[in-house]
Amino acid sequence: MSTLISAIGFGCVTAAILAIAAVGFTLQFSVSNVLNLAFGSVMTTCGFVAYALNSHGINIWICVVIAAGAGGLLSLGLNSLLYGPFIRHGTNLFGMVIVTIATALIIDRTTQAIVGPGFFSYVVGSSQAVRFADFVLTPEQIATIVLALAAMGTIHWLLRYTRMGKSMRALASNVSLARACGIPTRRVANIAWVTSGLLGGVAGVLLFIDTTTFSATSGSGFLIVVIAAAVVGGIGSPYGAMAGAFLVGVTSEVAAAYWNPELKDVVAFGLLAAILLVRPKGIFAEIATEKEVVG
Amino acid sequence: MSAATQLYVSTLVVYFFVNAIACWGLDLQFGVTGVLNFAFVVFQAAGAYAVALFSLGPASTSGGFQRYVGGYDLPFPIPLVGAMLVGAALAAVIGWVGLRRLRADYQAMIMLVVSVVATLIANSEIGLVNGPAGLSLIPRPLAGVLNLAPARYSWFFAGLCGLLCAGVGFVCWRLEYSPYGRMLRGVRENEQAVEALGRSARRARMQVFILGGAFAALSGALLAEFVTAWAPNGWEYPETFVFFTAVIVGGRGSLWGVALGAAVVAVGVQQAVQYLPIGSDPTVLASVEWIITGVVTLAFIWFRPQGLIPERRRRFRMMPGLREDPHAGLLEEVA
Repeated sequence: MSTLISAIGFGCVTAAILAIAAVGFTLQFSVSNVLNLAFGSVMTTCGFVAYALNSHGINIWICVVIAAGAGGLLSLGLNSLLYGPFIRHGTNLFGMVIVTIATALIIDRTTQAIVGPGFFSYVVGSSQAVRFADFVLTPEQIATIVLALAAMGTIHWLLRYTRMGKSMRALASNVSLARACGIPTRRVANIAWVTSGLLGGVAGVLLFIDTTTFSATSGSGFLIVVIAAAVVGGIGSPYGAMAGAFLVGVTSEVAAAYWNPELKDVVAFGLLAAILLVRPKGIFAEIATEKEVVG
Repeated sequence: MSAATQLYVSTLVVYFFVNAIACWGLDLQFGVTGVLNFAFVVFQAAGAYAVALFSLGPASTSGGFQRYVGGYDLPFPIPLVGAMLVGAALAAVIGWVGLRRLRADYQAMIMLVVSVVATLIANSEIGLVNGPAGLSLIPRPLAGVLNLAPARYSWFFAGLCGLLCAGVGFVCWRLEYSPYGRMLRGVRENEQAVEALGRSARRARMQVFILGGAFAALSGALLAEFVTAWAPNGWEYPETFVFFTAVIVGGRGSLWGVALGAAVVAVGVQQAVQYLPIGSDPTVLASVEWIITGVVTLAFIWFRPQGLIPERRRRFRMMPGLREDPHAGLLEEVA
């Protein structure tokens, strides 16, 4: 029983990181319709920005904030300097997938050429475990869960109670109609990219705190789990991404506790396959039809 | 040529043929039909492992230093045929789950996930195909019978690959330039129109997925037999991207273009990187190779999305004399 409970505890931590990343990934996708496979590279880059600061003695939580800013900037830069021009140049949905995966490769491998093939880790300070009922978690893990809850709350507030959020939802459901209604589509899309980058930056650093070691390709590896969570929930649906992250995070950690830990991601993907067989568009399918890309 | 040069040149020839087979398989899916199969390298790997398991013999015979399931010692053409069947069967299973009614980029994501899962399983289930160490000592076909010097054998193998490559090219040519091929291109260009004409786009995708899977497996099988080893770090998911780059650079949907792309990207870039003045640090070299591949892809999508040898735009007209009856449906290609 205590194995199960501690596994659920770890699952919540994984789910928290996954949720931040998956909401960032899916929010940007729903608004701009560009499948950004360089999202994992944004996470890694922010992780290394935080590493550079952290190794100069700056507290890791301040690094998280700066990394978030770096993520927002990088993500905005990707959209306005690379993806946007490609879309306006006439590259279609297909082409954009290839463009983003090429970008991911370029960012990851440039990082690797700079930092080398090794593994890195942060200096996080004390790690006195905290017991809470049967859950045993480190303060960092608790902070991760709190941060994720705060991020989810903010996104919920953004989408439901602000004009910007309303515009984003309008873009997600019908770009031409949104444009016809006078919504500045490109600006809204840019803000979605910044939001996605902010969340990606936070998720990147939190992930690398949680896994203790990371390399130049860690983010892109994790992106696959993020995609699984987003697809399970129904791609393009932020609330679906939260549900998907929770499901994937907890299932994989419970599986890791009882089975081969190396295969915990396989369990997550098995879940993905099972759900796709029943609901090909994910649990909360909002948009899965052919749409126009917004640059 | 000295024996060493002979070996080098013949190795490049083998790499070219193997990559051309793979790129044609991918082009059938991505270039002609428009299926974004980001798990393509998984089928190549399946072929490689299958050929190893069909020719290595039981695991105990080689002193048990590597662990794997099955293990048969079958004579020459059977392991290759078996590998193709394994690739096709795997494609049928993955296609059944992954190619459901989803939009194309959604399918691409699923395939990316499939690719990572496959590497994870191969790495962590050691008993399956010897885990991260991979399989080695894969026997080369007919090596014992022919008993040739290394360079001579390498040329023989290049000839074998050339024959198979020609066969695959012929099949692709016959398929792509037939009414069936027109239907496939229709699925790429306008799925609704194809469905309205009574053809199932999903079935078409499934068919090229299976056929492309078999070709990928054949290329993997030949590669594994040639280098006599195969390990998970050789088929991680970015590897698929090399084939995509080759198809894009050469010209998607164009057989000669794709062959040229295979030569330029899959063989050329790899060789060229070794002559760049950037030192010999293996990490930097590998990184630079990937960066070049990525930049070349972006450059081609921007400047020349149709590729080096573009797909020929085909026009059709009604056969002369049939104008009175538009329902006769006999079309003649206009040069």
